[in-house]
Amino acid sequence: MSPEPDVVTVNVTREIDAAEARQEARRLALRHGFTTVRAHGLATAVSELAMNLVLHTERGGLIRLTAQDATGAAMIELVAEDDGPGIPDLALAMEDGFSTRGGLGCGLPGTRRLVDAFAITSHVGKGTRIVCLVRRP
Amino acid sequence: MHGIGRILLQNRAGVLDAWLARLRDTAPKAQPASLQLLKLELGTLVEKLTAYFLAGDGDGAKPAFRSVEEQAATISAACARDGLTPMETATLILSLKAVAGELLDRETTAKATELYRMRTALDAVVDKLALITFATFVETREEIIKRQGRALLDLATPALPIWRHIILMPLVGIIDTQRARQVMEWLLEALAREEAHIAILDVTGVPLIDSRVALHLTKTVEAARLLGSRVIVTGISPDAAQTLVKLDVDLSSMITRGTLRAGLAEAFRLLGQQSKDTLETSF
Repeated sequence: MSPEPDVVTVNVTREIDAAEARQEARRLALRHGFTTVRAHGLATAVSELAMNLVLHTERGGLIRLTAQDATGAAMIELVAEDDGPGIPDLALAMEDGFSTRGGLGCGLPGTRRLVDAFAITSHVGKGTRIVCLVRRP
Repeated sequence: MHGIGRILLQNRAGVLDAWLARLRDTAPKAQPASLQLLKLELGTLVEKLTAYFLAGDGDGAKPAFRSVEEQAATISAACARDGLTPMETATLILSLKAVAGELLDRETTAKATELYRMRTALDAVVDKLALITFATFVETREEIIKRQGRALLDLATPALPIWRHIILMPLVGIIDTQRARQVMEWLLEALAREEAHIAILDVTGVPLIDSRVALHLTKTVEAARLLGSRVIVTGISPDAAQTLVKLDVDLSSMITRGTLRAGLAEAFRLLGQQSKDTLETSF
C-alpha cells in the first residue's frame, strides 16, 4: 500500500473542463480499486460541483481529488473551491428542488447523497468551499 | 534605417546564403522538397525587408512593413504545414538577427554608436517578426481545432428513420449545453420531417448523466410530447441508474428501457396501440 496520496487537480472555468474533471475522477477511483458504480457516482458528484463552478462563478474554480490508500481500504477526498459570489442561504441551497438558474435543483443535495461525507462553507462575496469523502471498505 | 537598407541591398544574396546555411541546423528533420520552397519564401522575406529599410521613415514604410509581416505569416504557416515545431520556426526567424548582424559589423564603416543604432533597429524588427510567426502558428492551430470541433458536432447526432413512424437518435460522447440544445433541435426537426410518432433516444454512448444532462433529456421529451410524439430513452447503464436514483432526478415523465432492443419493442407496442385506437375510432 502506498502511503503517498494520489492527487489530481483540475482548473474549471468552462464546460469542457468539467468533462475533464469527471474523467479524471473516474480514472482515479478505478485506479484505487473502487467499483464501477462507486466510480460513476464520484464522477457524477464531480460533474455536479464542476458545473456549479462553470455556471455560478465568473472566474471558475478548482477541483482537487486526493486518493489515499490504507491497509485494505481507500479514501478519496473531493474538494471544490472558488472565489465566486458565495451562497447566501446554504440551507435553501441544500434543499431538493431549489435552483437559481432553472436547473433541476438536485445538484448539491444529490451530491451529498452520492458521497459518504459532505461539508460546505460559503461566504457571500468571498467564495464557496465544498469537501466530500468517498470510502472504499 | 537607411544605412541598413543599403547594406542589405548590396548583400542580399550573401545574407540569404548565410541564413539558409543555418536553416539546416534549425530544422534538420524538414523534407528537402519543403526546404526548397522555404528558401524561396525566405528570399522574398529578405527582399521585402530590404525594401522596408530602404523606405526609411518615409511614407512608404508602413505598407512596406505590412508586406514584411504578411511574408513572415506566410512562412510561419508553411512551417506549420511542414511539421516544424513553433520553436524551430521562431528560431529560424530569430537566426536572421545573427546573420544580418554579422553582415552589418563587416560592411559598415560607420562609428560604433551608428552601428549600435542599426543593430538595435534590426533586432527590433526581427523580434517583431518572430512574434508574428508565433501568433500565426497558434492561430493556424486554433482554426484547425475549431474546424474539427464543428465537424464533430455535425457528425455526432444523426436522426435515423428506422421504421415507419419511428426514428432513432443514438447519442455518443459528452453532452454539453450546446450539444443538448442541438439534440433537441434536430430531434424535433426529424420528428416533424419524418412524421414520426416515436423517437428512440439511445444514450449508451453517453459516459455520464448528471442533473444537467437529465434536465436536457426531460426538456426534449416534453417538447416532443407537444408535437404529439413520444420519446423512449434507452441504454441507461446500471451504474448510471443507481447514480440517478441517488441524485433523485425525476425521470418519471419519460419512457425508459434498458436496451435498444427493449426500446424498439416498446415502440412497436405503442405504434400497435395507436393504430388500434385509430381503427376503433374510424369504425
